[in-house]
Amino acid sequence: MRKKRTLIIGLDGVPHALLVDLAGRGIMPNVKALMGDGVLRGMRPSIPDVSSVSWSSIITGKNPGEHGVFGFTNLIRGTYTLAFHDFTKLKAPAFWQADPSKRYIIVNVPSTYPALEINGFMVSGFVSPDLGKAVYPPSYIKYLREVGYRVDIDVERCRRSPLLLFKELSDVLRARLELCKRMWRKVKWDVLMFVVTGTDRLGHFLWSAYERTDHEWHEHFLSFFSLVDEAIGELAGMLRDKDDIIMLSDHGMERLKIEVNLNALLASEGYLLLGDEPRKGYNNIRAGTRAFALEPSRIYLNLEGKYPRGSVRPSEAEDILEELTELFYGLKWDGQSVIKKVYRKEEIYHGPSMDDAPDLVLIPNEGFALNARLSKREVFKESDLTGKHNEDAFLYVRGRENADLVPDDPSVEDVVGIMMALRGR
Amino acid sequence: MTGKWSTHNAEKTCWNCPAAELKGNIDFRACGQTMQRLKLMAEDTEILIRCRRRPELGYFEPTITFKECPEWELTEYGYLLRDMRVLILGIDGYLGWTLALKLGALGCQVSGVDNFLRRKMVREKGSMSVVPIASMKERLKAAKEVLGVEIKFKKIDILDRPKLGAFMKEVQPEAIVHYGEIPSAPYSMVDADHAIKVQYNNVIGTLGLLFLMRDICPEASLIKLGTLGEYGAPLTGRPLFEGIFPADAVLRWRGREWSLGGELTPRDPVSFYHVSKVQDTFNIYEACKYWWLRSYDVMQGVIYGVHTDEVAADPRLRTRLDVDEWFGTVVNRFVCQAILGMPLTVYGEGEQIRGFIALEDAMECMVRLISSPPEPGQYAVVNQVSGLYKVIELAEIVAEVAEEFGYPTTIQKLENPRVEADLHPYEVVSENLPLLFGFRPKVTPRLEITRMFELLTQPHIVERIKKVAHAIMPITWWSGEKREPAVLDIFKPKTRPKGPYKPTLHTGLKPTIYVKAAKRAEVKRRREAHR
Repeated sequence: MRKKRTLIIGLDGVPHALLVDLAGRGIMPNVKALMGDGVLRGMRPSIPDVSSVSWSSIITGKNPGEHGVFGFTNLIRGTYTLAFHDFTKLKAPAFWQADPSKRYIIVNVPSTYPALEINGFMVSGFVSPDLGKAVYPPSYIKYLREVGYRVDIDVERCRRSPLLLFKELSDVLRARLELCKRMWRKVKWDVLMFVVTGTDRLGHFLWSAYERTDHEWHEHFLSFFSLVDEAIGELAGMLRDKDDIIMLSDHGMERLKIEVNLNALLASEGYLLLGDEPRKGYNNIRAGTRAFALEPSRIYLNLEGKYPRGSVRPSEAEDILEELTELFYGLKWDGQSVIKKVYRKEEIYHGPSMDDAPDLVLIPNEGFALNARLSKREVFKESDLTGKHNEDAFLYVRGRENADLVPDDPSVEDVVGIMMALRGR
Repeated sequence: MTGKWSTHNAEKTCWNCPAAELKGNIDFRACGQTMQRLKLMAEDTEILIRCRRRPELGYFEPTITFKECPEWELTEYGYLLRDMRVLILGIDGYLGWTLALKLGALGCQVSGVDNFLRRKMVREKGSMSVVPIASMKERLKAAKEVLGVEIKFKKIDILDRPKLGAFMKEVQPEAIVHYGEIPSAPYSMVDADHAIKVQYNNVIGTLGLLFLMRDICPEASLIKLGTLGEYGAPLTGRPLFEGIFPADAVLRWRGREWSLGGELTPRDPVSFYHVSKVQDTFNIYEACKYWWLRSYDVMQGVIYGVHTDEVAADPRLRTRLDVDEWFGTVVNRFVCQAILGMPLTVYGEGEQIRGFIALEDAMECMVRLISSPPEPGQYAVVNQVSGLYKVIELAEIVAEVAEEFGYPTTIQKLENPRVEADLHPYEVVSENLPLLFGFRPKVTPRLEITRMFELLTQPHIVERIKKVAHAIMPITWWSGEKREPAVLDIFKPKTRPKGPYKPTLHTGLKPTIYVKAAKRAEVKRRREAHR
């Protein structure tokens, strides 16, 4: 008799509020049906609420101080060179690495590139520069080619044309679902994780199309979520009743009012001194810099000994952190406070990677999208995007009887534990 | 390494480095990626690269400087990529072979192709290199024995794209120096067959190369030999900018004004060969635009001379020296005419002003260009000259040196077989090489001409010069005629007044700096000669 299986469906960037809304309105009937037999809660994403950090916590069950991922990027130790996170640098095992006795199909989890050895099959999610390195086993790339698989929509092409955006979103989703179904039939598995990332892309580009019913692309927005719902229905329909379903998002989404450039702010306040060569990126940081930001909202002190032109002595750190905290809390736009919360790293992180952790992490108030562009000088800038991340992620577990396994206020770090507990039942 | 260390490219970054594989862009605000390497990037995105030489860095932003990167080593010509893989097209030629040895001696991994067409074309004229040159097999052996330089060579015609492509895949060049063209104005004017051959070889060859670069090594830089002759010599006296109008250039017409900054400057080629170079310029410019290839278009002045330390190290390493009407450049021909006791021939008044550069200086320029690659998508031009001279002035310098070597000579003016002004203004901007690449010329005409006499007056070479004497005088007219131009005047050097135009060369440096480097080299050479 087949053992119980676990299906994990990730909907990147889908807020709890939207899921409830669309399920209630009949746009997502499969989700509604699942909600009728399960427990749905809001879930706290990682801090900061970016996909690389959140998904890393989701798949490891660990705090960023333990898995070592604090954003999509980090400076290479001892330098100002900005490197992109890759899966080999994850410092805690993903659940499929922690228990290789089970078999897995992992599709499109962000920040899992390059694909590493797995008992089963995996294809990495965003950011994946080379599809050939995003697949394990490598020979399975032929299946990806057969279905016309792509890791992601081409964001540069799609930002210019909503028509192209919707076409790419549906093409990519269909190919991803088709691949998943083929692997479902081909590869023996115990846990299958399938992540939709088009939901996040759509949210960034056209959140306004969701909020405004008179928006030109409103119906298209809803249609895409219907397509997502169909995919969920198909996958759920292939399971047996006793199989587990976990559905979740890594963060939520809300309307973007204005972009706020933290490095521009730090530069204007004299904390960040830059040279004349923007081509050098963070290598353009001059001696005398006291603090700089990494995307989206991480603040690092330019510590002596840690960075090539580090000039902040340990004895000065506390004063500078206090000054910065006051600066950020005092930042206003159009009379509104920009920053909701300034966290010190010790407040939110723990683990062996604390040395790599940002000294401060900022949580913005509603509508403010924080970034750390070095090449821009304006602190506030209107955006071509209409959606930004927020803390309104969700977690769903099938079976009302499993409600006791789901904390009242779950966080992304709880997911692995919940999955293990479910499998133990 | 001797000499002052040059740090002109210390602050260049991975963005310029051929080892940096462009992977795409990330837009963190939209959590999106575009892996279309060839796409023009939006401003608010991060560039993603991977270093082929340092894979342990993973994917990162291209911001590490040459100075910081352990793969870039400091040399007297600037930071040079360690074991840089350089492919030379036309490696058997006058410049190709010389550069191959120079780069090999600097530690580059040199590979090259040639179809030996130059050797054949010179034979077609009934001539030969007056400096005896070894076969390629012997050259490669000598390079290894004498200089410790190993060069990978394949006999390939650049028009054979499959073969050239296969070799490029094998050697994976990080820079390509394109010397593989037919470099002769008179050759291109012989008749239709010759003109078509020159244009087909040069233009189609380069076009095919661009496609190969796109598909095989898009991060390699293309250092392409052009010619100052692309610009012509505008009678208005307009300066010859470095291929592209500077930012403050303005066009005024009927009371209105437009900026010309960034636009290609006009070209006015003076033969079908020069036209082929202009065509190359446009093809390369477009390829850089469409495919993010990167290229320096080297508008080289008239090359002359015989000397670099490497080619002088052994007779088997010598580079060719042609003096026939088709392939001999003017100073090289003057020296041989003096040795033969022939008058030095100038066309018309001999007041044509041209840019000139000695072989050794030209090689230094190329090394500096190779060591400081352009950015992705960048098409840049350098006017590669170390001085501007009237042809008759150079004839007089040759005559002076010839006298010192016991070869008194005269100068004769011939009817001009070419279609060109022999009296014209001439102003050239050549600031990129000095200001961006740290080039200072070291070789004056006098110095190089002296070296030439030292070499070419050796008895076995004099014999060879005598054998090709019949091929030196021009017979190819731009009109299509084939006859020797009539002599208009014969006179002793420095006995005729010069025309009104004086050349102006803008180097961006104080004149004394430019001259001092050349003078220092001259003094050093004389001291060494006296020891």
